[in-house]
Amino acid sequence: MKKIVIALVGQPNVGKSHLANALSGSNLKIGNFAGVTVEKAIASFSKDDTEIEIIDLPGLYSLEDFSADEKVTKDFLLKGEYDLILNVIDSTNLERNLNLSVELMELDKKMIIALNMDDEAHKEGIEIDATYMRKILSIPCIKVSSKTKYNIDALQESILHVNAHEPVAAKLFYSDIIETELEKITSFLDEKHFKAPNMSNRHIAIGLLWQRKPMYAMMHEQPLFIELQPILNNALGHVYMYAGSEDIEEVINKENAAFVSGLTTDVMSVKAQKSKNLTQAIDKLLIHKLLGIPIFVFLMWGLFQLTFTLGQAPMDWIEGAFQWLGEIVGATIENEAIKSLIVDGIIVGVGSVLMFLPNIMILFLGISLLETTGYMSRVAFLLDGFFHKFGLHGKSFIPLVTGFGCSVPAYMAARTLKNKKDRLLTMFIIGFMSCGARLPVFVLFAGAFFDEDMAGNVLFIIYISGALLGLIAGKILSVTAFKGEDEPFVMEMPKYRFPSPRLIWFSVYSKSIMYLKKAGTFILMASMLIWFISSYPKNSFIEESYAPQIEAALDEEKGALENEMREKMMENTYLGIIGKTIEPIFTPLGFDWKMSVATISGLAAKEVIVSTLGVLYSLGDEVSEDDASLKEIISKSISFPSAIAFIIFVMIYLPCIAATAVFAKEAENYKYTIYLVVFTFATAWIFAFIAYQTLSLFY
Amino acid sequence: MNLSHIEKNTKVRIKEIKSPAILKKRLQSLGISAGKEVEVSEISLQKNTLKISLGFSFIALRMNEAQTIEVEELS
Ligand SMILES: Nc1nc2c(ncn2[C@@H]2O[C@H](COP(=O)(O)OP(=O)(O)OP(=O)(O)O)[C@@H](O)[C@H]2O)c(=O)[nH]1
Ligand SMILES: [Mg+2]
Repeated sequence: MKKIVIALVGQPNVGKSHLANALSGSNLKIGNFAGVTVEKAIASFSKDDTEIEIIDLPGLYSLEDFSADEKVTKDFLLKGEYDLILNVIDSTNLERNLNLSVELMELDKKMIIALNMDDEAHKEGIEIDATYMRKILSIPCIKVSSKTKYNIDALQESILHVNAHEPVAAKLFYSDIIETELEKITSFLDEKHFKAPNMSNRHIAIGLLWQRKPMYAMMHEQPLFIELQPILNNALGHVYMYAGSEDIEEVINKENAAFVSGLTTDVMSVKAQKSKNLTQAIDKLLIHKLLGIPIFVFLMWGLFQLTFTLGQAPMDWIEGAFQWLGEIVGATIENEAIKSLIVDGIIVGVGSVLMFLPNIMILFLGISLLETTGYMSRVAFLLDGFFHKFGLHGKSFIPLVTGFGCSVPAYMAARTLKNKKDRLLTMFIIGFMSCGARLPVFVLFAGAFFDEDMAGNVLFIIYISGALLGLIAGKILSVTAFKGEDEPFVMEMPKYRFPSPRLIWFSVYSKSIMYLKKAGTFILMASMLIWFISSYPKNSFIEESYAPQIEAALDEEKGALENEMREKMMENTYLGIIGKTIEPIFTPLGFDWKMSVATISGLAAKEVIVSTLGVLYSLGDEVSEDDASLKEIISKSISFPSAIAFIIFVMIYLPCIAATAVFAKEAENYKYTIYLVVFTFATAWIFAFIAYQTLSLFY
Repeated sequence: MNLSHIEKNTKVRIKEIKSPAILKKRLQSLGISAGKEVEVSEISLQKNTLKISLGFSFIALRMNEAQTIEVEELS
């Protein structure tokens, strides 16, 4: 089978990923803001015995690399292996998009232009004559819509067709003076019967006149270069004189802009502009001077309220179901050790993580709405002034919000920031945005220590104070470690789009499946491990030494003695010994050894914190109350100040190992990773210490 | 007169862009270049950031960046 590799290139937010999905039926991430795709991704399909591989690249405004994600694309275009460029254009913003197309044409690759968002263009009364456009440029221009799948077949056909035929150079026309000079160079080359493989003489002439280094390198080796040079000097002289500038880049920019502007006038006609007005009207409210920020805060608050109110009932069902399952399964197993492994280890461990699935889904629904409607860049706009005071950048908002979901994509999203300094600073702060995996801890503790109608507010406060601490940390870092020049803030604000319910559902669904998978594999293993090292070695001598005491004790003292015995036995298991060793570090924060162990095990993955707590407390609490929920056990065995200190510690300390590894890769210097570890642990410890010591005065 | 002095809901024409080369190129590829008409459509509370509307798109800019864009009012 033949194989074609296609580079999908275009400005940000024009629907490249959406088009790749439409062409291939894959599920690349789509969102309504610039910078959704930050790393190249592959989607493939086959047609007529040919395998077609699409490389979905981050969007870029021009080939001048500005930010790290744009560099990914530029590097691929210049160094990667591909057969043709599929240039995606937003039909509702033709002229601006064509500026990039013109730059792409200079790369001298086979090229197809996809005029995407044809459905929107229609609605907005924009009419593009694709046939005429093709005639002018002499490369295929096809109107498509990734949303309605209009013309997707035709595009596929065209890909095969273009690939099978000889390359046709795209045609650009310049102003008369430039054309005259180009003509002189071209005719000289023609006269000398000069012929380069796969390259027209006009193309060479343009490369020389634009002073492109590779073209010079190639031509320099030719004997005719001696005769060519004076012609070239002469031509350049004329061009400079005509343009009134000695800067060839500026001349090129002007020429290209003029060509694009002319082309746009030729092929596009506009009847009315509706959607722009709609976006303007929504913006009147959402980025209103005074109302904008309060509206945003209100929406955030609403989301956390929903997490609690909507999440509560299904959460109780899931927990109940697991308790029931534990009893049923427990009753059928004879062997005490196996019964304990399955009931106290696996069912409690996995169940304590799974019961937070509804909350996680609500959180991801919120994030997904933010990403797909176009509100994201509005909030970046609103917060830029505020963020700037703290040494951050308005665009930092995007990675930071992503961080509420998971730190791994958040570190990658920081690529859209241009300055290394802004990028690193943002990456340091991402950890303060509590990720989805920490949500279970907060939901559990907020539910255990606060009234039901306050719990949503508490959750909101936890997230907000995490974010505020992050900003303060940002300020401190920006005046100490990451000093440097400010990055300019120039950001496109896309029009509002109604997100397709299917897309939203898919994004929530795939996150949920990931969570379920993690619970079924990683959390399951971790729970078994925790169960094992907190049950063995079985120190029967402790049991023996307590036996006579319990025998002799009065009935009402028996329970207390038994609890004491169980506690002693656990303290002497492997995990107990580890816990006791690290406990001194956490004692000033009011953590007992179980909480200490949970924080450490949370480094593997934050969900493990609740599963560890679940296993440890259920092992220690077995007989006294069979049907007590984890929430109740926690609220009985942990004091209020310790609980708050625990929340704060979990809020700030290092993201999980996987995220730290991504941080290390993105930061490109292990030094920063060490800083991150020290910085987050130190801050977490100090804040938890202050909270615990202060609260202990009152409780 | 530069863009940072323009009131909300005013249309202006860009005369010259005096930004450093990289920013200038970036602005150009976003469609902000000499001769283009733009409208200031929102200014944030403390006059930190502004939203402009041009042709078919909206761009957010900081005041610092707006100061480098020379404009003239349309009659
Ligand atoms: N109406 C309509 N909307 C579209 C179409 N194609 C894409 N969109 C929307 O445009 C937005 C951007 O789509 P993406 O596929 O994420 O854009 P991208 O070019 O990959 O963006 P980056 O990865 O940020 O460079 C999303 O909100 C899409 O739903 C289309 O043909 N019609
Ligand atoms: Mg994309």
